[in-house]
Amino acid sequence: MPQGDYIELHRKRHGYQFDHFDRKRKKEAREVHESSDYAQKALGIKGKMFAKKRYAEKALMKKTLAIHEESSSRRKVDEPVHEGAVPAYLLDRDVTTRAKVLSNTIKQKRKEKAGKWEVPLPKVRPVAEDEMFRVVRSGKHKTKQWKRMVTKVTRVGTEFTRKPPKYERFIRPMGLRFTIANVTHPELKCTFNLDIIGIKKNPNGPMYTSLGVVTKGTIIEVNVSELGLVTPGGKVVWGKYAQVTNDPENDGCINAVLLV
Amino acid sequence: MVQYNFKKITVVPSGKDFIDIILSRTQRQTPTVVHKGYAISRLRKFYMRKVKFTQQNFHEKLTAIIDEFPRLDDIHPFYGDLLHVLYNKDHYKLALGQINTARNIIGKIAKDYVKLLKYGDSLYRCKCLKVAALGRMCTVIKRIGPSLAYLEQIRQHMARLPSIDPNTRTILICGYPNVGKSSFINKITRADVDVQPYAFTTKSLFVGHTDYKYLRYQVIDTPGILDRPFEDRNIIEMCSITALAHIRAAVLFFLDISGSCGYSIAQQAALFHSIKALFMNKPLIIVCNKIDLQPLEGLSDDDIKLVMEMKAEASQTVIAQGDEPNDESVFLTMSALTDDGVIAVKNAACERLLNQRVEMKMKSKKINDCLNRFHVAIPKPRDTRERPPCIPQAVLEARAKANVEKEKRKLEKDLENENGGAGVYSANLRKHYILANDEWKEDIMPEILDGHNVYDFVDPDILQRLEELEGEEEGFQLEAEAEEKYFEIDGKELTPEELEALAEIRKKKSLLIQEHRMKKSTAESRPVLPRKFDKDRKFTSERMGRQLSALGLDPTAATNRARCRSVSRRGQKRERSLAREGEDGDAMDIDGEQSSKKLRTRSRSRSKSRSKSQPPGEVTPGEGFRNSSQKLKALKIAKKSVKIRNKTARRGEADRVIPNLKPKHLFSGKRSIGKTSRR
Repeated sequence: MPQGDYIELHRKRHGYQFDHFDRKRKKEAREVHESSDYAQKALGIKGKMFAKKRYAEKALMKKTLAIHEESSSRRKVDEPVHEGAVPAYLLDRDVTTRAKVLSNTIKQKRKEKAGKWEVPLPKVRPVAEDEMFRVVRSGKHKTKQWKRMVTKVTRVGTEFTRKPPKYERFIRPMGLRFTIANVTHPELKCTFNLDIIGIKKNPNGPMYTSLGVVTKGTIIEVNVSELGLVTPGGKVVWGKYAQVTNDPENDGCINAVLLV
Repeated sequence: MVQYNFKKITVVPSGKDFIDIILSRTQRQTPTVVHKGYAISRLRKFYMRKVKFTQQNFHEKLTAIIDEFPRLDDIHPFYGDLLHVLYNKDHYKLALGQINTARNIIGKIAKDYVKLLKYGDSLYRCKCLKVAALGRMCTVIKRIGPSLAYLEQIRQHMARLPSIDPNTRTILICGYPNVGKSSFINKITRADVDVQPYAFTTKSLFVGHTDYKYLRYQVIDTPGILDRPFEDRNIIEMCSITALAHIRAAVLFFLDISGSCGYSIAQQAALFHSIKALFMNKPLIIVCNKIDLQPLEGLSDDDIKLVMEMKAEASQTVIAQGDEPNDESVFLTMSALTDDGVIAVKNAACERLLNQRVEMKMKSKKINDCLNRFHVAIPKPRDTRERPPCIPQAVLEARAKANVEKEKRKLEKDLENENGGAGVYSANLRKHYILANDEWKEDIMPEILDGHNVYDFVDPDILQRLEELEGEEEGFQLEAEAEEKYFEIDGKELTPEELEALAEIRKKKSLLIQEHRMKKSTAESRPVLPRKFDKDRKFTSERMGRQLSALGLDPTAATNRARCRSVSRRGQKRERSLAREGEDGDAMDIDGEQSSKKLRTRSRSRSKSRSKSQPPGEVTPGEGFRNSSQKLKALKIAKKSVKIRNKTARRGEADRVIPNLKPKHLFSGKRSIGKTSRR
């Protein structure tokens, strides 16, 4: 029974097969041809996957080749130009920069007055009502059509209780109620699973905001206590706004970007 | 008896391969075609099936991994400890735990997305949800990629562990590195352990098997142990310590008294005393190896004292067992290089182990079940009179003589036992051969000589044939001499024609002799037909004519007569030419010949239709048929074999035909002109 390092032991005692290295060399040489044959013959999804892998390998190979070639030649490096660097005959002119700054502050003030904030997704596709709601027939002969079921993801509060079923017009199914969002910090570039406190504004209308529907572009308020942010005054920040960046009903999760 | 064999664990694929396998399986084994226009419930079912299928496959494969890797707490503590020493129990458990959590997470993902799919109201939405579900499952597997790689490495190493049964008879060999443990195991078993002059050649446990008194013993070779505090020991040494600690075996502690291993006897004795706690309740034997380099008597006094101390310790264990201390079974010397005392060591170890195991079995409770079943019935004594067995004197004397003889005669079995036992010694069967010359007994028979197999030319009566051949040769030689003598007696020289004739005669004679010989040699194997039934048509009238003309006679008359009387002309009337031959020989001859030729050809072709009024199955002797039914069968088979096979599988006359009795074009349709009152 072979035990221990029997392969190495056999090699130590008897050496390699007399044509071992020849065969190995030839096999490696043949591999090139075989893989090209396979690449030409493979169809469908397998062909696509193989082509993708090959492309990545080729790109890497080209890069290494380029690096090798680079090191052998020397090149003149241009010095980067500093921002704001100005030729000598323009040295005393800084009026324009100041003007730019001014106009920026004016623009911001105007936006705040208008109630427009800077968000990652300023414009979203409008969602029609028949896309948002589905008609639920009720009544003895299923003729009454005043109930609506929400087809998008919703966030109801933690103390939410349904209205009596006879009177509730908008049904928010439990399967589509989410509580957690994957929030990305734009500067730290890392993602956290944070609790949603509530919906601040849904761009499709105030009705949706009050229902708690979460679509792409909705501003939500998330619980950031786990980030450990502190105000300059020393208070702990535990709620911040974030904007939803995906279609939650298509992905099964709410991805948002924190608004800093 | 559980076999601790870790070779059956399935291969653990790497993270990327795992994902590829499962996803391609999902793509192959679930339906792939779906259209926007299908009913929504059908679309939902389609995608839910894919999600569930993927989750089930992941679950199956991960469960297989978790189940097949052994749980360190469930196996024998020897293996548990060995695996802990080699792979670190914590790391191992963590890896398996990660796989378990991954499995649960994938289950949860599938459940959640299947719930969401119920609310999917369009193909696009369901498809996105399915993609998201599969993607998340694959991310989970990607994350446990390092654990999978680690488990694969462990599996490969575990497969090469020796399969040691911790409960059977075992002999354990331990000692310092380089003292000769591996050489010893190579001698008594078939294990091929690497033996090299540097220390720590053996880096793990090796197992071999040997026989003693018809029982199989495991022999375990351990890596050498150095004398160090327990915490400092490395993994290799810990393997041996584990084996010593957990396996109840006979322990052979090897001492190198020549010091050629690089360590002095004092160091080895120190090691012995530091690990003697592990030798409790185990039969211990101190073995001094390498006595060919340094005999025991040549040691210095200090060394001898140390060795005696160790022997005393070993004897202690024997006393503890309850047996009386016997020097030979506690302290032995041997040399693995010169095979001196190797068998004695093995026998002593096996004997001690066997005795200990038998005693333990006797003491255990299980033996009572067996003991209850034996009962030696002794009849109650009638009175106090002694009645010894009555053996006649002659028998006693014969027995005594036989005993003496048996003692005098050395049995083959004794010889075998002396030289190492059943597996080691092979008896020399040649010493009882009966040959013409006794010196030939030990000869080696060659098998190939000059490129030929000798056995192709060996014959049991080859000597007899050789003599015959020589006799024949002598005979020929005598004949040749006689012939030559004949010429010499005559004196005069022969003329060239006479010489020619002589040569011809000789040639003909030799031809005849050759033919006769051929016929004689094949006479036994081939049945000879009488001449009148010659199938090959060798004995034709032409041949007769040729032979007669060769002799110098005119063959025409004889051939004509033969032809007249031939079988093919049996049904013919008498020829006119025969009557007219006397009148005009020449003309008639020519005519006769022509006409007879014509008749001959005609007769032959006609004869089969006319004169051969034989039924088809009639057997002519010489054809080889037993009776007519066999001949008919043979004719039938011959006809069938010539038939062409229908290899192209075309429709034949026996294949079912479904005729179209009312073809449509004949029974329907309007005519362009005229009436359709008849069809």
